[in-house]
Amino acid sequence: MANADRRIRMTEYLDLDLDREQWICNRCGHGLGSARDNYKEGCLLYDRDPREIHQPIVDGKFTFSPDPLWVQIVEFYCPGCGTQIETEYLPPGHPITHDIEIDIDSLKRRLDSGELVIREQRIEAAQ
Amino acid sequence: MAIPTLAEKLEWLKPVPATEFERECVKTIRPGEYEIGVQITNDILDEAMEIFVRSSRSYFGVSGDSMVAIFTAEGDLINASCGTYLHAIIQPIIIKFIRKYYTENPGIHDGDIWYTNDALYGGIHNPDQVAIMPVFHEGRLIAWATAALHTTETGATEPGGMPVTAKSRFEEGLNLPPIKIGENFKLRNDFLEFYSVYGLRAPAMFISDLRARCTTADRVRVRLLELVEKRGVEFLVGLMRKMLEVAEAGAFLKIKNLPDGKFRSVVFNDAIGWTPALVRACFLTITKKGDRLIFDFDGTSPETPSSYNVHPQAVVGHIANFMYEYFFHDLPICSSTFAPIDFVFQQGTLLNPDKLAATSCCVYIGMQTRCATHNCFAKMMFCTRDGWSQVASAPGSQHTAQICSGHSQWNLSVSDVLSFSLNTQGQGGRATTDGMDAYGFAWCAFGRAPDCEQVEGELPLTVTLSQHWKDSSGPGLHRGGSGAVQQWMIHKVPQMLSLCMGNGSKVPLGQPLFGGYASTPIPGISVKKADLLQRMKEGDPTLTLDHRQIFEQHDIKGDWKLELIARTPDIYAEGDLLFGFSGGGPGYGDPLERQPELVVEDLKKRIISSRTAENVYRVALDTEGRKVDAARTDALRAAERKARLARGKSYGEFIAEWSKKSPPAEILEWYGSWPDAKPVRPIFRP
Repeated sequence: MANADRRIRMTEYLDLDLDREQWICNRCGHGLGSARDNYKEGCLLYDRDPREIHQPIVDGKFTFSPDPLWVQIVEFYCPGCGTQIETEYLPPGHPITHDIEIDIDSLKRRLDSGELVIREQRIEAAQ
Repeated sequence: MAIPTLAEKLEWLKPVPATEFERECVKTIRPGEYEIGVQITNDILDEAMEIFVRSSRSYFGVSGDSMVAIFTAEGDLINASCGTYLHAIIQPIIIKFIRKYYTENPGIHDGDIWYTNDALYGGIHNPDQVAIMPVFHEGRLIAWATAALHTTETGATEPGGMPVTAKSRFEEGLNLPPIKIGENFKLRNDFLEFYSVYGLRAPAMFISDLRARCTTADRVRVRLLELVEKRGVEFLVGLMRKMLEVAEAGAFLKIKNLPDGKFRSVVFNDAIGWTPALVRACFLTITKKGDRLIFDFDGTSPETPSSYNVHPQAVVGHIANFMYEYFFHDLPICSSTFAPIDFVFQQGTLLNPDKLAATSCCVYIGMQTRCATHNCFAKMMFCTRDGWSQVASAPGSQHTAQICSGHSQWNLSVSDVLSFSLNTQGQGGRATTDGMDAYGFAWCAFGRAPDCEQVEGELPLTVTLSQHWKDSSGPGLHRGGSGAVQQWMIHKVPQMLSLCMGNGSKVPLGQPLFGGYASTPIPGISVKKADLLQRMKEGDPTLTLDHRQIFEQHDIKGDWKLELIARTPDIYAEGDLLFGFSGGGPGYGDPLERQPELVVEDLKKRIISSRTAENVYRVALDTEGRKVDAARTDALRAAERKARLARGKSYGEFIAEWSKKSPPAEILEWYGSWPDAKPVRPIFRP
C-alpha cells in the first residue's frame, strides 16, 4: 500500500503518517515529530495572558476574564504555517498534557489484518 | 451497615446475566416484533414524562430535568425518557441494593413505592430524588419503573437543596437511603409527615414533586401491565432482555472501531464552596484496548471539607450525559451500553470521597469529568469515519444557580432555583459547525428555559432583561454556542433571601478543542438600591437595557457588587437587581480559520463584540462596518500567523521557563501537592 493511503486525520490539524510514524500538520505538511511521542514536542509554544482573548469589561477582582494568576492559555503552533493546532488552559507551571498516545503497533496490525481500512483519511471497520 | 462499597456499585452498573426464563422468552420475540416492542417502551416512557412535567411544581420539574425509566426484574435499565441522562446508568445500583438487602425484610411486594435520594446508595446528590415501583404480574416480579427529579429543597442548612457551606453530609438535610414509603399503591401518611417537615421552606413544591414522581412511576407500571395483558409476560421479559443484548452488542462494536491508545484531559475548578480555591477537578486518562474502555481518574485533587465532592457513581452519571448525547447517540438508553466500560477511582479524591463527605454541590466537580471526557473522546473519534462528525467541545457549564427563598407575592413559602440561567447554556463548537446558541443545560440536554411570565407569576421577580450574552462563547473555527444573561429585579415583595451556587469565576470551565479558546468566566453581580424600578415607573427614555452597556458603564445606578459566583445568603429588597448568566460553549479550531462572513453575522446577532472580531478573529470590516474587507482581513491573518512563528518557543525552551512558574500558594490550599495533586493533609468533618 502506498504511503499516501496510510495517512490518517487524527485531529482537525494533526495527521498521522502511519508508515513513517510521524505527526504531520494537516494544513501545510510540516513534520511534528515521532508519532510515538507527544506531538506537542514538535510545536512552537506560547503562554498567553488570558485577558488578551477574554477582555475584562469591568474593573476589580472579578472582571469576566480568567485570572492570569490562576490560569494561562498555552498555545501550540505549527512551526511550518503558524496554525494554532491546540490550546490548553493551565495554571502557570502546570505540566503540559500528553493528550494523544496512539498505539501505533495495534493500528498497523489491525490495518494489516484487514480488520480496519482507511477511507478518505479516516479509519473504519472493513465491511 | 449495608452501605454499598465502591466494588459493589461498579459491579451493579453491569447487566446481570440472563436467566433461563429470560433466554426462553427472547426466543419468542419474532423479527419485527422487537422493533415494535422497543417503540412501545418509548411511547410508554414519553407519555409518563409528559405527566411528570405537567404534575411537577419545582422549576427543575417544569424544565424537564428528570428521567423516567424501565428496568428488568433484576434491576438493569432497558429504556428511559430524558430529561437528563444523569440518572440513566446508575439507578440499577439502587434497585439491586433493594433486591439484595430488603427482599426478606421489609420485603418487595406489589403496590410498593420505594424512594431514595442518598448518593451513598447510588444517587447523584440529595436534591435528586427518585420514586421506584416494582411491577408484578400474577405475583411475579417482572420489571421496575422509576421517576427521578431534582427538587430545589432538602431542609439543609441553606435553602435551595445544595448547601454550599456544608462540610459533611449531616448538614445537607434529608438523606434517605432506599426506603419503602408506600404500600398497596398508597403513600404512607407517617412518611408524608416525616418527609414534609424537610420541605417546610417550600411545602407545596416539595410534596407536589414527591407525588409527581410516584404518579409517573405508577403510570409506567400500569402501561407495562397493559402490554403484558395484550402480548403476554414472555413478550415483555424477552423484549427487555433482547434490548439489553442489542444495546450491549452495539456498544462493544462502537468502542472496538476506535483506535487503541491512551487519551488524556485535565480540567480545573476555581471554588470550594464560597472559597476561591484552585483544584484539579478531573485528571482523566481513558485507555482504549480492543473493545473495552477504562476511565482512570488518577491525578485528581484530594477530597475537600466542602460539598464540592462527588461519589463515584455520580461521576458515571455525568459521563453518561456525554455518552448519550454524542458517542452513544444512536444506541438505546440502556445500562448494558456501559458493559464495555470500567472505572478506576482513587480513594480520598474529589471523585471518591469518604462516606461522611458532603456532596450536595457535587455537580460542579462532576460536570468537569464530563468536560474532560469530551476532549478525550474527540481525540479518539476524529480519525473514525462514523464518529468524527460527532466530535464537539464540552458544553458551557458555568452558570448562576440563583436560589430565591422567602415569601412570594402570593404569601406562599418558596425556595426554588431560577432555571433560565441553567437551561440556556451554549453547546461546544462542533467538528462540522458552531455550537448551538443557548442549547440547553450541560446536565440536561432537553431542559427548557421557563417562560419569563411564568417565573414572574410565581416568584417575586420581574425579568427586566433576557439576552444572548455577548462574548460568552469560546472563539474558534467553529465557535461555541452563546450563553445567555437575565436581569432579575426583586419586585412585589418587600424583600427576598437569595444565595447562589456555582463555579467558573476565575477559571474557564472545560477545555476548548483543537486550537479554539475557552468560554468566558462568570462573576456574581448584584446591584442593591438600584434606580431601575423608579426609572421604569417614570418612563425614563434614557434607560438602556443592553447588558454589555449596563456592565461597562454602570448605566443603572446603585450599590454594585462583583464577587465570586457562589454567594452567601443575603437579603435583597424590592428594586434590587441580580444578574444570571449561563455559560457559552468552548470553541473548536483555530479562530483565524473562521469564515470572515460568519464573524460579521456574529456581530450582527450581538454574539460577539467588535473587539473580538478584530483582535481574536482578525477580521477587518469596510468603512461602514457592515461587510468584510477581504484584503485587509487576509493581511491581518497572515501577520498574526507570522507573529505566532516569531513568539512561539521550542518545546524544550518553553518548558525550561514554564516549569519554574506556579500559582500563588494561597489558592492552592485544597489543590493537594503541586503540581501532582496528591493528598497533603487529613480532612476533618463535623
